[in-house]
Amino acid sequence: MFEKLQGILKKVDADYGDVRYEIKKDTVITFNGKELTQIGSNSTDGYVIRALKDGGMASVVFTKEGDAEKSVSTVVENAQLIAKNIEKPVRLAEVEIVKDTFIPALKENPRKVSMVEKLELVRKYNDIPLGYEKIVTTSISYQEIIREKYFISTEGTEIREDLVTTRLFGEIISKDGNLVQNVRVRAGGSNGFSTVRNQEKNFEERTAIALDLLKAKPVEGGVYNCILNPNMAGVFTHEAFGHFSEADIIETLPSMREKMKMGNKLGNNVLNIVDNATLPDQLGFYRYDDEGVKVRPTQLMKNGVLTGRMHSRRTASEFGESISGHCIAEDYRYAPIIRMGTIFIEPGVHSFEELITMLGDGLYILDAKGGQTAGENFSFGAQYGYVVKNGKVSEMVRDINISGNLYKTLNDITVVGNDLSLSKVGGCGKRQMNIRSCSGAPHILVNNLVIGGA
Amino acid sequence: MEKLLEMAKKVFDKAEVYSVEYTNNSVAFENAKLHDIDSKFQSGISLRIIKDGKLGFAYTRNLINREELVQNALDSLKGGVEANYDFPLTKELPQLDKYDSSLEALSSKEMVEECARVCDYLKSKTDGEIEMTSLTSIDQIRIINSEGTDVSSKGTIYSGFGGVMYPGSSTGIWRVFRSKKFEKISDDVVKEMIDLYRLSSKVVEPKGGKMKVMFMPNSMITLNWRVFSGTSSKSIYEKTSPIADKLEEKIFDKKITIYDDPLKDKYPGARAFDDEGVACKPLTLVENGVLKNFYYDLNYANKLNAKTTGHGYRTTQWGGDPITLKPVPALTHMSIKSGNKSFSEMIKSIGRGIILEGTLGAHSGNIPNGDYSVGVSPGLYVENGEIIGRVKDAMVAGNIYETLKHTVDVSDTLYPCFGGWMPAILFDDVSVATKK
Repeated sequence: MFEKLQGILKKVDADYGDVRYEIKKDTVITFNGKELTQIGSNSTDGYVIRALKDGGMASVVFTKEGDAEKSVSTVVENAQLIAKNIEKPVRLAEVEIVKDTFIPALKENPRKVSMVEKLELVRKYNDIPLGYEKIVTTSISYQEIIREKYFISTEGTEIREDLVTTRLFGEIISKDGNLVQNVRVRAGGSNGFSTVRNQEKNFEERTAIALDLLKAKPVEGGVYNCILNPNMAGVFTHEAFGHFSEADIIETLPSMREKMKMGNKLGNNVLNIVDNATLPDQLGFYRYDDEGVKVRPTQLMKNGVLTGRMHSRRTASEFGESISGHCIAEDYRYAPIIRMGTIFIEPGVHSFEELITMLGDGLYILDAKGGQTAGENFSFGAQYGYVVKNGKVSEMVRDINISGNLYKTLNDITVVGNDLSLSKVGGCGKRQMNIRSCSGAPHILVNNLVIGGA
Repeated sequence: MEKLLEMAKKVFDKAEVYSVEYTNNSVAFENAKLHDIDSKFQSGISLRIIKDGKLGFAYTRNLINREELVQNALDSLKGGVEANYDFPLTKELPQLDKYDSSLEALSSKEMVEECARVCDYLKSKTDGEIEMTSLTSIDQIRIINSEGTDVSSKGTIYSGFGGVMYPGSSTGIWRVFRSKKFEKISDDVVKEMIDLYRLSSKVVEPKGGKMKVMFMPNSMITLNWRVFSGTSSKSIYEKTSPIADKLEEKIFDKKITIYDDPLKDKYPGARAFDDEGVACKPLTLVENGVLKNFYYDLNYANKLNAKTTGHGYRTTQWGGDPITLKPVPALTHMSIKSGNKSFSEMIKSIGRGIILEGTLGAHSGNIPNGDYSVGVSPGLYVENGEIIGRVKDAMVAGNIYETLKHTVDVSDTLYPCFGGWMPAILFDDVSVATKK
């Protein structure tokens, strides 16, 4: 394969070029309620070429081999067009030249588990919620996405890496009269089929929440002190803070760059945040990014002070900061962009019980349900929550959406728990989907969150 | 394609081959400077087969190995996905004007020049951070099936968006543009962006509570997604629609008429047939507030003993790669009938309220139930008919089955926006949470 890619790369008349070829194997099994609605395994493939010429950088994607020549000339022409229209040429940070093959070790290779066995496992899980009268339907999918990647560059880097993702996810939907409630269920990871086995208890617990939500009251809108559970706090860290630590998000926003300068004190002293995609057995794990750079642990915040940033080669050069290996594509249909790997708030010393006592009165909010940011403002939903009175968890509440300002909220995180937990299923939609996006935190106490209620 | 269909017909009772080819070019300006030019040349083939009432499905990018594709479809049959329907025989289709050859000749250079023109102008008139992206898309779809259907289409879309952002916020005033061929962004649109940006540059901190909220076209996706969910035959079948038993009942204010018209080729992206080869036709979902219809694809029409309305599309809530997705019921050309007041007249009628220019988190919350709870991004605050600034850290929340009952006015114009062509709608009595 590398020889074939060299054949394409040598036609790229540029100062720098790279070609990534991928074979993507998808397996999917979906149940909607009792019915199996999709099952199958398929394979697709395609190429991405990037070229840097005279200081302009462009990319092209193609799926037919016959389009290679047209693609090569298009990407070079576009790079030159950019070069003519920009004042400051694009440069790429220097990196080590790598020749490596990395096929990760798996705890049970999903390729070797038969479709029949996968189907029966998903059916068994799906039957758990459907055994309850008030669960009207489910939408449960098993997905296996295998990216077999080949990367070469004109600098001599040559990398072959596999990313094997297994994921079990969906919704359990309960209904009473006209009231419909839904709860998400999630399992999976980067290290094999074992990540989706033994999920019966998980399905039982999520079903119980879906049923309890039918009796829960909508939360009253207002400003609350809150405890966020690890999933919710992880999504906050990813959405509200993490995206601004992606250099390409702030690269062209002068005021944002000023706010996100290294050494700026942005958060409470208790806050330490890191992105570490080298942690083995976690969803966000990988060795090389999609421009051939080895990923490294990146301390983003230490004691509330900004200490690092996630970069592509282009932004590392632009910011004059260290490369980090965070330039990732969804698959062969996209040029890579900067993505988080495994981002989390590092654990503190307090137990969950201590946090509840410290909160006194407020809300305990659990499990994110979609999130979005625009600049310093963020908004995301929670699947459920509880009212906390006098340091005791009391009745369940629903329809919780929180919004806030990043900088205020980073200072309003006053206590960090000791119970770190990382997500098992990802789905960050920054222009492309990143199913390996992994986030987490311990329980955290946050003051003054705006909760939108009906 | 024909060979593949012949091969599939020998093995299966019924077969369908869907093929697509698309070329995209995009030019992106960040902070009013050229940043990226990306091109894509993609194609693919997808095979659906039915044997003994069961469905098989397979796809590939390159039809190098027909046997393997047929084998993958055969393997997927074993799962037992029910399919008690036939593929359609579609003979006559309305002729749509959806292709403009001039777009094929449009160069990246011309796209760069137009973006530069608009960015430079916005920069000279505001202190905001300017972003703009323009895209061209040329797509060809062909569907052939064992019933004898052979339908195809070719279309062109020139689209994009531009925005002026308040410094340090990455939120601002955005406008979307969309046409069948290259068109310069109109001066009116640019002027409106500048005016709204200037009027809202001051941050104000009003008290929350129930007030009037105007959903601008860019915010309508919040309501649309809940309408998609409530009126989908899939939700009816799965018993998750709160309006399943409300046909011919009044569910919204009488000013609300919601329809889907794929044939309207005044707009780019019109469709004469859906992704199952069924002929498209206009469908009224809600007429003067009364629920009239649900929308169906072949599969759910069969399950509910109804007829397909031609709404089987290979898509998801987030779009997606059509060859890898099976058709599902989808409203791809939904719109809301315009009213009779201009945007500025509507603002004048607001005593105290928010103009919701954009939202954060339209996809979160309990969509089947119709609940929404979105951050303002941005929210322009209005007092006594005048925009006096913008609100930060506020949330607008409610349930569409309540909110749409409190419609005050619908704008007299439909605007291109993320998700289609929509009016601005002013609602009363909507809950707004702020920090005060």
